Amino acid sequence: MGEAAPLTPAPAVRVQGFGKRYRRQAAVAGVDLEVRRGEIYGLIGPDGAGKSSLMKAVAGVLAFEEGSIEMFGIRIDSEAAAERVKGRLGFMPQGLGLNLYPELSVEENIDFFARLRGVPAAEIAARKAKLLAMTRLDRFTGRPMKHLSGGMKQKLGLVCTLIHEPELIVLDEPTTGVDPVSRRDFWAILAELLREKGITALISTAYMDEAERFHRLSLMHGGRVLASGEPDAIRARTPGSVLELEAEPQVEALDRIQASLAQAESVGPRLRVFVDDAAPEAAVGTVAGLLKGLSLRDLHATTPDLEDAFVALLRRQRLVEERAVAKPRAGDGDPPGDDVAILAKDLTRDFDGFRAVDRASFTVHQGDIFGLVGANGAGKTTLIKMLTGILPPSDGEGRVAGADMHFAAQAIKARIGYTSQAFSLYQDLSVLENLRLYARIYGVARHAAGERIEQVAELTGLTGRERQLAGRLPLGIRQRLALACAMVHRPRILFLDEPTSGVDPIGRRRFWDILVHLARVEQVAILITTHYMSEAEHCDRLALMHAGRIVADDPPAALKQALREEAGELLEVATDRPLAAMALLEQAGFAGVALFGRHIHLFARDAHTATREIQTILAGRGIGLASVTPRPPSLEDVFVYRITALEQGEQRL
Amino acid sequence: MNLARIAALAHKEWREIVRDRLFLALAFVVPAALMLVFGYGLSLDVEHIPFAVVDHDRSALSRDYTHRFIDSRYFDYRGHVKSERELDPLLADSRIRFAIVVPPKFEENLMAGRPAAVQSLIDGTFPFRASTSKGYVIAINAAFNGELLAAYISRRFGVAPERAAALAQPVRVQLRYLYNQELKSTWSIATALVMLVLMVAPPFLTALGVVREKESGSIYNIYASTVTRGEFLAGKLLPYVGISIVNSLILWALATGLFGVPFKGDPLFFFLSSVIYVTCTTGIGLLASLIVRTQVAAMMLTVVMTIIPSVLYSGLLVPIASMDPQGQFEAHLFPAMYFTDIALGSFLKGVGLEQLWGKALALAIYAAVLWLISFALFHKRPRT
Repeated sequence: MGEAAPLTPAPAVRVQGFGKRYRRQAAVAGVDLEVRRGEIYGLIGPDGAGKSSLMKAVAGVLAFEEGSIEMFGIRIDSEAAAERVKGRLGFMPQGLGLNLYPELSVEENIDFFARLRGVPAAEIAARKAKLLAMTRLDRFTGRPMKHLSGGMKQKLGLVCTLIHEPELIVLDEPTTGVDPVSRRDFWAILAELLREKGITALISTAYMDEAERFHRLSLMHGGRVLASGEPDAIRARTPGSVLELEAEPQVEALDRIQASLAQAESVGPRLRVFVDDAAPEAAVGTVAGLLKGLSLRDLHATTPDLEDAFVALLRRQRLVEERAVAKPRAGDGDPPGDDVAILAKDLTRDFDGFRAVDRASFTVHQGDIFGLVGANGAGKTTLIKMLTGILPPSDGEGRVAGADMHFAAQAIKARIGYTSQAFSLYQDLSVLENLRLYARIYGVARHAAGERIEQVAELTGLTGRERQLAGRLPLGIRQRLALACAMVHRPRILFLDEPTSGVDPIGRRRFWDILVHLARVEQVAILITTHYMSEAEHCDRLALMHAGRIVADDPPAALKQALREEAGELLEVATDRPLAAMALLEQAGFAGVALFGRHIHLFARDAHTATREIQTILAGRGIGLASVTPRPPSLEDVFVYRITALEQGEQRL
Repeated sequence: MNLARIAALAHKEWREIVRDRLFLALAFVVPAALMLVFGYGLSLDVEHIPFAVVDHDRSALSRDYTHRFIDSRYFDYRGHVKSERELDPLLADSRIRFAIVVPPKFEENLMAGRPAAVQSLIDGTFPFRASTSKGYVIAINAAFNGELLAAYISRRFGVAPERAAALAQPVRVQLRYLYNQELKSTWSIATALVMLVLMVAPPFLTALGVVREKESGSIYNIYASTVTRGEFLAGKLLPYVGISIVNSLILWALATGLFGVPFKGDPLFFFLSSVIYVTCTTGIGLLASLIVRTQVAAMMLTVVMTIIPSVLYSGLLVPIASMDPQGQFEAHLFPAMYFTDIALGSFLKGVGLEQLWGKALALAIYAAVLWLISFALFHKRPRT
C-alpha cells in the first residue's frame, strides 16, 4: 500500500449518509461526520438521539443499512471488513463498568483484555504498570471489580480499552452516572493518554457542559445531527444574547417574557432568557420593556452555553414540541399550614457497621426546591428512603409533613409524593389508566378523582395524550407522567430521585417549569436529587453530600460566593500548548488546575497578579498565551473544589 | 485459531464461574441434587395401591377371594365398607384408588357351577397406573379361577391337587428377566437419569454463561476485538464442557454407589460417549443463547428444548418401540434417545462399542450440526 499513500492521510473516521433502523423504527438517519486523526470528537445528545447506534456501527459491532463508514480509509461494509480494523480500535460500550467482569480483580480484568488483544507477554507488565499509575488504580490491583466505585470502574474500563494501544478509541457515554470529581479526573487522564500516543477518540455524552472537552463535536437529537464543528462555531450558529435577571414577582415576569420570547426559564431566584439575533444591549432593552412595572435587579448579559445553543437550534429547526404546559392559577390546593415541610435533625442510618448517612440535619420550607447532590454512594438514596418512611433511621429525628418519622411512617406516605429513580409506571397501561390507578392507590375519593386527574394532566402537559400507552411515550413525557402520578393525591411534599436522567434539555426545561410552578404557586415543597450540575442551579437551596454527611447546605449563589472567598477567582487560560502549560502551572502551585478542551481553568486569589505570573511562567518556556479571562464559577466548580478538599483531608488523616 | 486467545477466554470464564458462588453451586450441586431427588422420588413401580372392599356375600369363599388382594404387596388394604355408595367419597378424595365389590350369593353361585361377576372399580385419572392395576386384578383373578378349577378337577376326578393344577393350566409361562433380574425400576431410572441430568444441566449453564455477557454488555469486548468467532465459541464453552464431563463422572458414581446400579459395560467407551453427549447438550445451550437476549428467556428456551423432549422422547417413560410412528420419528430427532440406549447398554447390558457405535456416531453428528449452526448464527456485527 506504501506506494499509493496519499499526501494527507485518510481521516480516522468518515461517516456519510449513515442510517440505522431497528425493525421499522429509524434510529439514525442521514448522519455525516469526519473525525480527524489525533482529535477528540464528541457526540452530544440526550437518550434516544442515536449516539449509541452510530458509535457501535463505527466500532464495527453493529450492521447498518444506509450510508457508509470508513475507518482509516477502509470501508466498513461487512463483518469481514470490520474485522480488518478491529485490531486498531478500542471500544467501550455504554454503562458504567458493564463490559468488565465483576468477579475478576482489577489486574485480572486488564490481563484478560491484554491476552484477548494479543499484547505480547513481555509488554503487558510495563503497559499495565504505566496505565495503573496514571489512573491511580495501582493500589487496588487485587480488588474485585464489583467492589470499585463508579469513578474507578470507569477508569478501569479506560485502561482495558487502551491496553492494546489502539489508534482509535470509541467510548460510549463514559461519564454518565459518575460524580463531577471523577468526571474531571477522567477527562484529565484521557487527554494526557491520548496526546501521548496520538490516539484519536470518538466519545459520546449526554452532558452538554462537557462540550468544552472536545476539539470538535456533533450535536445529535432524534437520530439526526443538528450541528457539527468546534464548540464556539456551534454556538455561533444561533446568534443572540443570553440575559440573566432577578424579577419580583418572578412568576408574573416569566409569564410576560414567555408570551413573546420562546426561550426563557427560571433558574432558582433568577430568570434566564435567550433573545434571538440581538446584541446584548438591544436584548437588555427588549426584556426591560417587557417587564415594565416590575421590580428588576441585576439584569445583565452573559455568554450563551452549548445548552442554550442546542435549544435554540431545535427551536429554529422546528423540532420543539409545542409548549402545552398550562398553568392553572393559584388557589388550587390548600394554603400552607405548617411552614416547615421537612425537618431533619442528626438523621443517621447504619448498615452492618457501615454508616450510610451520618448525622444529616436540614430544613425544607413549603414552596422550597431543595436539591441534594453527591456522588453515587454518598447516601442520597438512603436519606430519601428515611424521609419517605420506607427505612427507619438508626438515630436522630425527623418530621415530614408534620408527622414524626419514628412513629408515623404511614401518615408520611399518605402526605408525600415520590418518584423513584427506577421507572415506576405501568408501561402497558395508558396515561389515564396510570393516573386512575395511582389515584386509587392513594385513596383519592372517587368523585374527586376525575377532576383532580384532569388538573394534573393539564399541569404536566399531558392533556390530549390520555389514551396513549405509557411505554410508548418519549422519555421526557414519561417522566412528566411519573410526576403527575406522584401528585394525584395533592401531596404537600414531593420527593424526586433523579427525575431528569437522560432527558433532553428541552424536556428537562419543561420538567423544571412544572416544578417551579408547583413550588412558587402551589407552595409544594420539593426535594430533588440530580447529577446534572447545571440543573442544580434551579434549586433554592442545595445540600452537598459526601460519605454520608452533608458538607454544605446553602443557596447556589452563596455556595459560589463561598468558593470565591475561599479559593479566589476562576481564571480561564487559553494557550497553544495546553498540556505543557498545565503541568507548569500546577508546579507553580496554582489551585484547581484542570483542562477543558484547549483551555485551562485555575483558581487565583488576585486576578491581576496571577495573570502577570502566568505570563512570565509560560513565556519562560516559550508557550504562547492567548488570553487569561476571569469566569464565573459553576456549581460543578464548587462541587469539585469542596469534595477534592475533603478527600485530601481524609488522605492526610 | 489462536490458542493463546482461546486459553485467555477459557481462563477468564473459569475464574468467573469459580468466584460466583451461585453459579458454582448451579454447576456442581444442582446436577447431583437432581439425580438424588429424581432417583428417590421417581419410581415407576406401581405398588401399594390403596383399596377398599364391599363384600355382600360374607362367605368363606368371598373372604378367600378378597384376601388375595389384601395380602398382595401391590395393594394396600384400607378396610371394608357396607355398600357401593360409601365407595364414592373415598374414591373422590383419592383415599382409595381401587375397590372390589363381591356380589351376594358369590359362593352359592360358584358352588352351583354358575358364573359370578365381581365388580372392580379403578381410578382412571392416571392411565398408566390404572392399566397396571388392571393387570394385577386380572392376574389375581386368573390365579383364583385356576385354583377353583384345579380344586374342581381334583374333587371330580380324584387326582392329586398338583396334577389337577397342571391339568387346569396346560400352558405355563416361565419368566426370566434379563439385565435387570429383579426388575428394579431404580436401576433403569438411575441410568436414564444420568441421561436426563446431562441433558438439562449443561445447556442451562452454557446458555446463562453466554447470555450473561449479552445482558451486561461485555459481549462487546468480543465483538470489538480481533478474536475470531470460532476462538470465542471454543474458549467460552471449554469450561462448560469440562464441568459437564466432571458431572458425568459424579453422576456415574452416584448411580453405581448410591443406587447400586451395576456397571457391566466398557468404562472407556461410556466415558467417551458421555463426552460426546455433553458436547452435544452444551451445543443446545449455545444455540439457545444465540437466539435470545435475556437470562430469563434463555432459561425458558432451554427448558423447552431439553427437559420436554428428553422426558418424552428418550424412552424414560415410554419405550420408543411402543410409540406411534410419528412419535418414533420425533424420538430419533432428539439426542436423548441415543444416549439412553448407550447408558442402558453400558450399565445393564454390558455391551460396548461394537453394538453402540451407531448411537455414538449419531450423537457426534448431532453435536457437530449444533455447533455449526451456532457458528453460523453468531455474528460479531449483529443487526441489533
